[in-house]
Amino acid sequence: MVAFDKCETRPAHIEAILNGLDRYNPETTTVFQDYVALQCEDRTFDCYANLALLKLFQFNPHLIQPDTVTNILAKALTVFPSPAFSLCLALLPTSTQPFPTTSEAQSASQTSDFVESVQKLTRLSTLLESAQYAQFWSTLNSDDLYADLTADVAGFEELVRIRIAVEVGNTFRSITAENLESWLDVRSRDALNKFVVDVCGWKVDGDVIRVPTNKENEARSEVKSEHVGIEQFGRVIRRGFELPA
Amino acid sequence: MSYEDRANARPNLNDESDNEEEAMVNDYREQVNFDDGMSELDQTMSHGASQAHDLQAQLAAAATPLEYQATLETKFASYDNYCSLFHYILNSDGPVDLEVPNYYWAWEVIDEFIYQFESFCRYRNRVACTGSNEEESQLLRENPNTWGCYSVLNVLYSLIQRSQISEQLNATKRGEDPMAVAGEYGSRPLYKMLGYFSIIGLLRVHCLLGDFSLALKILDDVEMNKKAMFARVMAAHFTTYYYVGFSYMMMRRYGDAIRMFSHILVYVSRTKNFQKGGNNYEAIAKKNDQMYALIAICVALHPTRLDDTIHSAVREKYGEQFYRMQKGGPEALPVFEELFRSSCPKFINPTPPDFDNPASNVDPVDHHTAIFMDEVKNTLFNPTIRSYLKLYTTMDLKKLAGFLEVSPEQLRSWLLVNKQRSRQIRWVDGGLLDGEPAIANDLDYALEDDLIHVSETKAGRRLVDWYLRNLARVY
Repeated sequence: MVAFDKCETRPAHIEAILNGLDRYNPETTTVFQDYVALQCEDRTFDCYANLALLKLFQFNPHLIQPDTVTNILAKALTVFPSPAFSLCLALLPTSTQPFPTTSEAQSASQTSDFVESVQKLTRLSTLLESAQYAQFWSTLNSDDLYADLTADVAGFEELVRIRIAVEVGNTFRSITAENLESWLDVRSRDALNKFVVDVCGWKVDGDVIRVPTNKENEARSEVKSEHVGIEQFGRVIRRGFELPA
Repeated sequence: MSYEDRANARPNLNDESDNEEEAMVNDYREQVNFDDGMSELDQTMSHGASQAHDLQAQLAAAATPLEYQATLETKFASYDNYCSLFHYILNSDGPVDLEVPNYYWAWEVIDEFIYQFESFCRYRNRVACTGSNEEESQLLRENPNTWGCYSVLNVLYSLIQRSQISEQLNATKRGEDPMAVAGEYGSRPLYKMLGYFSIIGLLRVHCLLGDFSLALKILDDVEMNKKAMFARVMAAHFTTYYYVGFSYMMMRRYGDAIRMFSHILVYVSRTKNFQKGGNNYEAIAKKNDQMYALIAICVALHPTRLDDTIHSAVREKYGEQFYRMQKGGPEALPVFEELFRSSCPKFINPTPPDFDNPASNVDPVDHHTAIFMDEVKNTLFNPTIRSYLKLYTTMDLKKLAGFLEVSPEQLRSWLLVNKQRSRQIRWVDGGLLDGEPAIANDLDYALEDDLIHVSETKAGRRLVDWYLRNLARVY
């Protein structure tokens, strides 16, 4: 497990900025922005570095690049389930109101494009985090704006699909093809079969997809016994020596 | 305390400068009609020029809370006071030769500095939101850099760098002599203490700004144990664990959050009486209750066996709410929100608000509450799922969906969510951000088509604790 502040694909110059006081220097925003663009292209994700950029925006609101912010959010969607998305939201201007109440949503016509984009991406995040995958896809396909928001992220749909497959693999030993089709938004049975065999390495058995046993989906019972160490009795033993016989 | 009392209580000043001060203060009083209590800080300000001989007063003022009703002018003046003090400490020729009262003083300076930053930001937001006080809006608009986030961070980072405190702490960790790397500044107690508490200060500032991962990262060099320097000052000890625990909670590492809160709450409950009557006892008691509330939230989201003392205290303080949160479902939502709001830090906006559009300024506390509540909503049915699955070893999904009166599709989502949330990152060793994925739940399951296979990890009887407690009672 890699620590939260580390990233294997992070270039040395970004690492240097993050570890020094330059992470607060407004001039480094462009460096971070380029790095976000790079992550979008080569399908990597560096949450800790992206948070540093959002922090620069937080301190210097006039520098905010809406496209970069929405790209960071869209990238964060591809690593669900994870606190990444909400950690990003926490650094956004409070005026973006990621979770509008119904009355606020109705007056949406007055809100800026940026606010609307953030709210839309947040909606997607909620659907992914609550495992409503079929609704995620139907929402994503319901409005062209979503396509614009995720256009810069290379392989966005593919990345999300793989994440969903991993989650399914952790919970299911077998699942009906019909179910999986709606969760992965694959249009045909052939495409589904190809995906589960080639990408996931699972088996197709008629209308059922079989997931080989892994550490997560075996669900073994065990009895955890108490670990007893001599140090727990230190005080008692010491007292035994202290007290006069 | 009036000016006269203070002057008399300071034997180290000679009469001459006392008289000089007296004259200046009287002069100043004629110009501005401040009442006694509030004039304290302004006095020190008025001596900014003859700083050297009034430094003791300035040091004292830096650690003294502002009056609750302090005017905007006083807040500005206090900012200037801190700036000149820190400028003097950091940018004189070589280290400043000062006898520092004690650890407690160093902590109070940093603590009060950040507290004033926090309350200034909140005040500014409030002025902008209500839009009622034109005069103050104007004043705030014209001074966007007073109590600016950059200057506050600058002070804290400069104190850390000057004192070489990170290098010193690392040397101590390796078992070497910290003095070898302390340098000209860091070898003096003044700089060492201010530098050290600035680290804790940064933890707090980053948390207030909503940057939870950076807040934890800041503590990389600090060892979290009772031997740490922060443990010598009760308030510092307390503050550290509160903000670390809270940051973990916002990173969804509830197990680690519970560990942090429990650690400090057990410590406090064991040392309950020595603080009573102390001047910040009330503040500590309030934070204490807040942490019990946060622990209740964490346990509801992440069932954990608590230390017995903590468990009974949580039940005593928040019994009803605790029960409702643990039960889950829509009725628990308002409870989560209420407890979160009353126990979270007072989040701030680092930049000036929009004075022209009062309605566009959202309270940062609302912002963070909304983000947190989204996760609560997503996991709201975990307790329901767990309580049913506990009863079976195998269960048909459609049948369970029938019991719960939801669609099978909905139930599959809940099962996925519950499974995901029972995997959490847990700290093992290294920095606070390190950790390994761990199964956080004794209940596990897997689906074979629509058949749910349930397995349970049972904990054997825990006898040691019971045995030791009873042994202590009779022997």
